[in-house]
Amino acid sequence: MEIRLRILLLTMLLGLAGSLSGCATLRHLFGTAAPAAAPAPADAGASTDRSADEDSTPPRVIQPEVERRNLKVPRIKSEDIELGGYIGTLNIEDFGAHRVFGAQLAYHITEDFFLQAEAGRSKAGRTSFETLSNIALLTDNERWFKYYDMSVGYNFLPGEVFIGRNHAMTSSFYILAGVGATDFGGDSKFTANFGAGYKVLPTDWLAVHVAVEDRVFNSDLLGVNKLASNLEAHLGLTVFF
Amino acid sequence: MLRCARLVCALGAVLVLLCLTVGVRPAQAAGAYVQVFVRAPYLELHTGPGRGYPVFNVVDRDASVDVLKRYTDWFKVRTVGGVEGWVAAQDMEQTVLADGTPFHYDVGDQNAFTSHRFEAGFFPYGDYGGASALSAYGAVFATPNLAAELSVGEFLGKSSNGTTVDLGLVHIFYPQARLAPFVMLGTGVVRIEPKATLVQPEDRFEQSAYVGGGLRYYLTRRFFLRGEYKEHIIFTNRNQNEQVDEWKFGFAFFF
Repeated sequence: MEIRLRILLLTMLLGLAGSLSGCATLRHLFGTAAPAAAPAPADAGASTDRSADEDSTPPRVIQPEVERRNLKVPRIKSEDIELGGYIGTLNIEDFGAHRVFGAQLAYHITEDFFLQAEAGRSKAGRTSFETLSNIALLTDNERWFKYYDMSVGYNFLPGEVFIGRNHAMTSSFYILAGVGATDFGGDSKFTANFGAGYKVLPTDWLAVHVAVEDRVFNSDLLGVNKLASNLEAHLGLTVFF
Repeated sequence: MLRCARLVCALGAVLVLLCLTVGVRPAQAAGAYVQVFVRAPYLELHTGPGRGYPVFNVVDRDASVDVLKRYTDWFKVRTVGGVEGWVAAQDMEQTVLADGTPFHYDVGDQNAFTSHRFEAGFFPYGDYGGASALSAYGAVFATPNLAAELSVGEFLGKSSNGTTVDLGLVHIFYPQARLAPFVMLGTGVVRIEPKATLVQPEDRFEQSAYVGGGLRYYLTRRFFLRGEYKEHIIFTNRNQNEQVDEWKFGFAFFF
């Protein structure tokens, strides 16, 4: 009985071992599988085919399949436009000197000539008459002195300023003249402007300006027609781009 | 308080602009510059962008430089050794690009004056029905002969001030000629602010039409002079329409 049982168990074990040895899944499970054999015979066959081809056809001329590269030249950045703002003092004729704010935009045509547009505003104070009589000639809104102009400028005496031994900054004096309009005292007036300035460039793209300009227009604000001269001095900061 | 806030806002905007400008500069990749090779015996580098600035360095024939930027007719370049200086445009014409083609800087010529896409100009001298007038215009060209034009102006007179906006067509007769005549036709609007001391009249806003002609004279590079005459008919709601003559003279450029 015992021997029969032993034979039965051994037979089952042999049968199980025989069936498992053919199972590919289990071979991989235990990591014992050999790497897949390279299909060497197939390759060998192909190479013999190719050599047979080369014998029968003439050698091919090499045809380059490299496309000509279109060189894209980068765009050179230009810095002919100058934009910035300024703060200064505007002496409004008969109405005292007051702080003025403005913006300026310039286009440099050549190293000598440039076109410049300016727009600014200031608020007039009271005339001597108003102070003494306590009568207001203008409303609060009419005291705003707003202007714009378009000018042609000319750089002259270009040069360099030096800070110590190692730093040089380009600089230039300039004169400019133009026309524009001034809104003051409830009226708009055709205005001529002219002036001069000095600019220093700490870097190629940044300029510090000091300028003095006169804005002249025909005024009849105080009952007499006269040429009103409004002198402005300002300090500006501009960026070239 | 409001003024203070505005001032702070303005200063803030300026600071942001400055930071942006400063911040953008280093971001420009080293390889993003045009590289040119010297074909003349040497290339002179000036200390500044102007004819009077001294020459402080020269670049030998066949050496290369990177073109960093341009200011008017001057190019800022950097040599292989890292020296930066300014080169005049006529000297740059003596260099070639990496593929051997000559470096060319287009400053505009009469051919471009004949045929271009856009132009803009400013008329500092003008007379609008007896009032001093200032105006500016921009134009888009469909063909060398035909353009659509938008003009904006302000007139300042003794009896009234006002603004005008005109939109119309321009036909140029001989665009290839240095002095080219043209005719115009269009429509527009005009805002008239009458001046009065006793009663304050209301501003008028009227539609108008115009016909006119003028001359363009090519100066140099991208610039030309322009003078013109326009006859405006202002359509009023009264019995008679108004007729206004406008003369103006100015300068313009094309691009």
